[in-house]
Amino acid sequence: MNELANTLAVSASGMKAQAGRLRFLSENIANADTPGYRRKTATFDQDMQAGQATGQVTTGPVVLDQQPLARIYSPGHPLADENGYYDGSNVDLIVEIADAREAQRSYEANLKMFEQARQMSQSLLQLLRR
Amino acid sequence: MDLRSSVAAQQYAATRPATAAKQAPGGMGGLEKAAQDFAQTLQKGEETALSAMAGGADAHSLVQALAQTELAVETAVTVRDKVVEAYQEILRMPV
Repeated sequence: MNELANTLAVSASGMKAQAGRLRFLSENIANADTPGYRRKTATFDQDMQAGQATGQVTTGPVVLDQQPLARIYSPGHPLADENGYYDGSNVDLIVEIADAREAQRSYEANLKMFEQARQMSQSLLQLLRR
Repeated sequence: MDLRSSVAAQQYAATRPATAAKQAPGGMGGLEKAAQDFAQTLQKGEETALSAMAGGADAHSLVQALAQTELAVETAVTVRDKVVEAYQEILRMPV
């Protein structure tokens, strides 16, 4: 029974990590037009307790994408330099949407594992009932 | 026969009456521990539900804690049903 309970905990940690990833993606999409914004990417780490991996996943520190910012031509913009350009964000909406879809699929996979562990434990207990 | 040793044996027997329940080394302690674990799981589920309502815990830990509580309750109910069934079987036994 303990193994199945551990499975529940591991799947829940995976879902939590993917939810955190989706949160960064939504921040990126919301700030797609913010000048000077660098897109945030979530990092995933193994959960360690007392020096041993528990099998769970956690989100690590945020990493900012160091790709060059987009140069946007807009002479009337208050941030524009003498050539009429200013630094936009380096968010690519297509990449964000693809990443979000990946997070969704991963979330669904964890959800399925959660459901399966629950069903297995319930059918184990079903043996005792007649 | 040495009188002192027989008195000592008598007193030793008196301190351990035959009708007293013996403390089983594994049986009772294991059951007690299982009950404590069960109560702990229930309490953890309640705490997580409370903090989720207050906005402290996220939905994932709430779902996980509730699933574990459900599992524990189902186990306890199944074991109780089995025990009651066995007891009734004994009561129905013709004497």
